Amino acid sequence: MNNFSKTVVLLTSLGFAAATNAEVRINGFANLVGGITSSDDALYGYDDSFSFKSESSFALQVSADINDKMTATGQIIARGEDDYDAEFEWAYFTFNATDHVSISAGRLRLPLFKYSASRDVGYSYHWVNTPRAVYAVPFNNLDGVRVDYANYAGDWEYNLQLAVGTFSGDNDLGDVEGKNVIVGTAEVQKDWFKARVVTGRGKTTIDADAVSNIINALAQISPELANDLDLRDDSGLFLGVGLEADFYDWFISGEFTSINAEDSFSPEDKAFYITAGLRFGAFTPSVTYEKLDGRGEIRFLDKVAALPVAFQPAATAAVVGLQQAVADEYEVLTLGVRYDYDTNIALKADISSYTSDIDDSLDSGLLRFAVNYIF
Amino acid sequence: MLKHTVKKIALTAAFLLGSTSVFAEVVVIVHPSNSASIDAKSTQRIFLGKEKKFSTGKEAIPINQAAGTASRNSFDNDTLGRNSAQVSAYWSKLVFTGKGIPPKEVADDAEVIAMVAANPDAIGYVDSGSVTASVKAIALN
Repeated sequence: MNNFSKTVVLLTSLGFAAATNAEVRINGFANLVGGITSSDDALYGYDDSFSFKSESSFALQVSADINDKMTATGQIIARGEDDYDAEFEWAYFTFNATDHVSISAGRLRLPLFKYSASRDVGYSYHWVNTPRAVYAVPFNNLDGVRVDYANYAGDWEYNLQLAVGTFSGDNDLGDVEGKNVIVGTAEVQKDWFKARVVTGRGKTTIDADAVSNIINALAQISPELANDLDLRDDSGLFLGVGLEADFYDWFISGEFTSINAEDSFSPEDKAFYITAGLRFGAFTPSVTYEKLDGRGEIRFLDKVAALPVAFQPAATAAVVGLQQAVADEYEVLTLGVRYDYDTNIALKADISSYTSDIDDSLDSGLLRFAVNYIF
Repeated sequence: MLKHTVKKIALTAAFLLGSTSVFAEVVVIVHPSNSASIDAKSTQRIFLGKEKKFSTGKEAIPINQAAGTASRNSFDNDTLGRNSAQVSAYWSKLVFTGKGIPPKEVADDAEVIAMVAANPDAIGYVDSGSVTASVKAIALN
């Protein structure tokens, strides 16, 4: 289906849903992001000639009140990295059970990070984009149900979210799927202080030819070890903590996350960022340091050692080779500035230095400019 | 060329500083029949969508003013504790997750007063000098 007809379907289906009663709201956002790396380098889809493709996006959201308690929302987003091929990012119904409890069902955003919900809306944060060391996970959207509870006690405001369902996405390797996913989030806020904790688990599977080839070869030697090494319906655990202090004139915040599928080749990914910024009128200069440690210890060596000696060299090559191939460790330092041109337009620029702890040749510098618009 | 650019930036900066430093003294207004207890905190929660009812249990309908007006600038900075761009960024987080709808915006004090006078559930803010007898004014500071 082409973009235009998708949009028409979105508008008409929501329009019909609302035809009897109701208010239909159309919102949207656009992020025009251009970047260029230092010569002969590549980072985040940019290279050393200026381009807008990697992180630009345009989205249209329609939401309609079906009745007092129910809302239907659909969001279509066209991303530069997908050749602006429009896709339904979200489509869900929300039932506002009480003033404090709402239940959403459909395709929605998993509440993993502080900016998960508005990650695509550049206007909502001070960066050109959210820090990838933490935010670049292959499971942002959930097909399922989310329950939100929001209330306050004295000066403390708090939010609880519980989400269950399935996800599917992709990363550098191939397709990533999650079943029986359950994610719980708690957030508290008082004046300048904000904190959140999140935990989630799900049966995770990675489907990638490069991985299957190695797993299949290893299965000829030891089906059990191949099964250990594979990431197929293996339990994955997500943990996250976020803290923020915002004194209006300046702020500092950070998020720390861990993703681990113990019985697989995929090493534990520990990641964090810390960001701090100042607010001078319409200007928000900031500095952000982010780090991903996805190296972990090489697993299953004891099981390789238990194999007949003749098989050990081949098994070692498969077990160690695969784990080393997907291990990653890097850090990024970014200096940026946001300028509030208007209450719906922000202009931004930032410069990042990426340092790989695995391979020096991946080190890179990146300069980006962005225009974020909301309506 | 460079000089022109620098001059433009200087002008822009002056304009921005100028526009945000013009603060009016705003007061919250509700319908004369509204007996709810209203303070800065409850007003902030109602205008940020965190509270949907008055202390009396009745539904609260916040009426906002258009961005850039003196009343709005003053209200955002003094009562909400953030500038209008930050308020807008706050709402963009909620709008694009289906978690909230920002308050309706009207053009000026007179329109806010007309809406509040006509609706027992409405709450708005205006310059203290604009208040009329058709609404109940509550000073927050």
